[in-house]
Amino acid sequence: MQTTRSEDHERLISRRCFLVGASAAAGLASLGLAGCATDRSPNSLVIAVNGTQAAAAAIKQAVGIPFLAKHPKVQLSIMAINGTDWDDYFAKVLTLIAGGLAPDLTTVATEGLQLFASKGIAQPLNDYVMRDKASLRGYFADVHPVLVESMMYQGDLYVLPTDFNCGNMFFDTVLLDKAGASYPADNWTRDDFYNLADKWATTQGAVAWDWVVRLWGSWTSWMYANNANLLTEGRWPGGSWMWDTFYAGDPAAQGRKGGWHWGAPTANEPAVVDALQYMIDLKNARLSAPPDVGGGGTLQGLFASNHIAMTIGGGFWAGGLHAAGMTPHQYDVQYFPAWSVQKHLLGDAGYAMLRTSPVKEIAWEFMKSLTEPDALGALIAGNTSTPTRRSMMTASRYAPTGPAHWPVFYGTLDKFPNTTPIPAPPYYQELATAFAARTTQAMAAGSAKPALDGLQGDLESFVSAAAT
Amino acid sequence: MALALPRRHARTAGAKTGTDLHRRREARFAWLLILPTILGVGLFTAVPIVGSFVLSLFNYSIISPTKWVGLANYGALLHDSSAQHAFVVTIILTVGIAIAQVVVGLALAVAVQRRTSWARSVFRAAFFVPLLVSGASVSIVMSYIFDSQFGVLNYYLGLIGLPQVSWLDSTWGAIFTVMIVVTWQQLGFTFIVFSAALGAVPRELTEAARVDGAGGWRVFRTITVPMISPSILFTVTVGVINQLQLFDQPYVLTHGGPGNATQTVVLDIYEQAFQNLRFGYASAISVILFIVVLVATFLQFRISRRWVFYS
Repeated sequence: MQTTRSEDHERLISRRCFLVGASAAAGLASLGLAGCATDRSPNSLVIAVNGTQAAAAAIKQAVGIPFLAKHPKVQLSIMAINGTDWDDYFAKVLTLIAGGLAPDLTTVATEGLQLFASKGIAQPLNDYVMRDKASLRGYFADVHPVLVESMMYQGDLYVLPTDFNCGNMFFDTVLLDKAGASYPADNWTRDDFYNLADKWATTQGAVAWDWVVRLWGSWTSWMYANNANLLTEGRWPGGSWMWDTFYAGDPAAQGRKGGWHWGAPTANEPAVVDALQYMIDLKNARLSAPPDVGGGGTLQGLFASNHIAMTIGGGFWAGGLHAAGMTPHQYDVQYFPAWSVQKHLLGDAGYAMLRTSPVKEIAWEFMKSLTEPDALGALIAGNTSTPTRRSMMTASRYAPTGPAHWPVFYGTLDKFPNTTPIPAPPYYQELATAFAARTTQAMAAGSAKPALDGLQGDLESFVSAAAT
Repeated sequence: MALALPRRHARTAGAKTGTDLHRRREARFAWLLILPTILGVGLFTAVPIVGSFVLSLFNYSIISPTKWVGLANYGALLHDSSAQHAFVVTIILTVGIAIAQVVVGLALAVAVQRRTSWARSVFRAAFFVPLLVSGASVSIVMSYIFDSQFGVLNYYLGLIGLPQVSWLDSTWGAIFTVMIVVTWQQLGFTFIVFSAALGAVPRELTEAARVDGAGGWRVFRTITVPMISPSILFTVTVGVINQLQLFDQPYVLTHGGPGNATQTVVLDIYEQAFQNLRFGYASAISVILFIVVLVATFLQFRISRRWVFYS
């Protein structure tokens, strides 16, 4: 059908108007979005912190203000990023990096150290450390070498560790007293644990034991006690620059190299299967509750409300339980029991500098300031974690929160040289997801072997993918 | 308001009347009004859809160089049993929840329809409020209720002598619990739609049927259901589209577990993208999910020709 000129004109103009308008609006929107991007000043220092906004504000108050007094030209911005667990936090930081909003420093735990290092995100600190070795001697002399080695990868140091946690055993002493049970010896065994759990279960009606599905402080503690691991344990060569410079003559540094090398998967080896099957057996014997997946907040709440008699925890539990209302004498801690060996898992954390940072010197100065006792005290105020500096482990520090046997926290490193970081290879993110799925699969099915055969397959595929 | 769309009626050639100018102004104003929506949909829906498809042709992990892989991500999906399982889980949950929402929502709407007007208002508000709460918040509360060891539900089951149920720790228990939680939370939507539809059923039809001797069930089956069938189609269509994108409840309640029993497609996409950093592969799954949603919606409308009655 033929249309009139007037109709065509009207239609063309309307659409043209629309297209012009749409383009203009899209352009304005793009400009607006571009305007949202941060325009960094040359002296701005951006720090990503795994925690709440309140925690970030506390760090800024306690560490940032003294730092700014020494460096008045620096513009300090501390960004709180809340993650349900470390893998969630790392995913958010990586998304920031992808979005062109990379911070200069970010919290990194053992879980993500090799991920950040292997992908070239984190900056090796060797040159900085060696340049300022005189001012750092006091710090390294105060920090156990295992905590430093777990922050190394392929011979390079990426983080000056600020806090750590070993997988120890926590007790509800209220339930302990009611059961007429006594605090176990430091060389107690899995059988002692079972007898204690059984006593609680039959006399108190409480759940004797509970745990949480995550890499740190999970059934993995039993796996370590059974002298097994998900991946073959090894060490990267190198690292002598660190040990020769700061730990010469220290027996605890003997044999240490360039960081942990996580080799071929061993997730379905008999000792690993036995460890997970033991959790299933405890649940079937009604000595254990079905575990939750996640960071452990629910577990801590249940423990603090006297619903659980024993669980795995680290130094950070002292602050958590105190905040949840437990008094220092309502709970206590002991080393993890021996199975085939007495071996503990470890995780530590600190701040990594990003390679992309345009203000590396400022970032390095801030990193160093975070290792000062006052700064560390502020970072983990209220015992929300365990300081890496041995000199900060004092009775007065633990008097308000407990537990009575607080020396266990650092003592784990001294007494057990076989204390080993959690297996967190460069493909940690995938490992954490598969680990959670296969663990819950085993608990639901009541059989560890098929699930761990599946985990072995998962890990082999991750290793293969990482190699390509 | 008339948009400047092609008009088929004849007009005098070259005549530029006051009406034409008015229409042009109206048309411009109309385009201006819908411009924000078009821009919003374009920027935040169309562009991401196209972007996802483009991304699905690459290997992209944020921290490694982007690499063109063509259709390799789709090929990998064919061999990924866990992703395929996620589609099966999603379909099971979608069908279960859609049926439960229609059946329970309709039953409640019918039950409430017979109440007094103030009671109807109270029930409508009560059923609708959960819909206003975020899925994550509801799921956190529900996780305390359904916890096998410490949950409120098992506590009361124990009090009346019933065995403890592994609501979240067994395969079918977890699937069933997710269905219950989602159905409970979203029931308000189907309930409100059905309440409105029931109110619109002509009373003379049902009364005539009763005069002719039809019982309550027969009246409901042969008159009420056909009369509200467009609403049923609407709720089923919207429900299916929503449930195919189910994420919050399984993420918070079960993390997709135990094992991958409640691993929905969107949860799988999230894990592949934001935990495993396989953005290209996650995009390929997203594209397939988009096609599944399109096909499911198309099929529903095709099938609806046989049973939906438009008066």
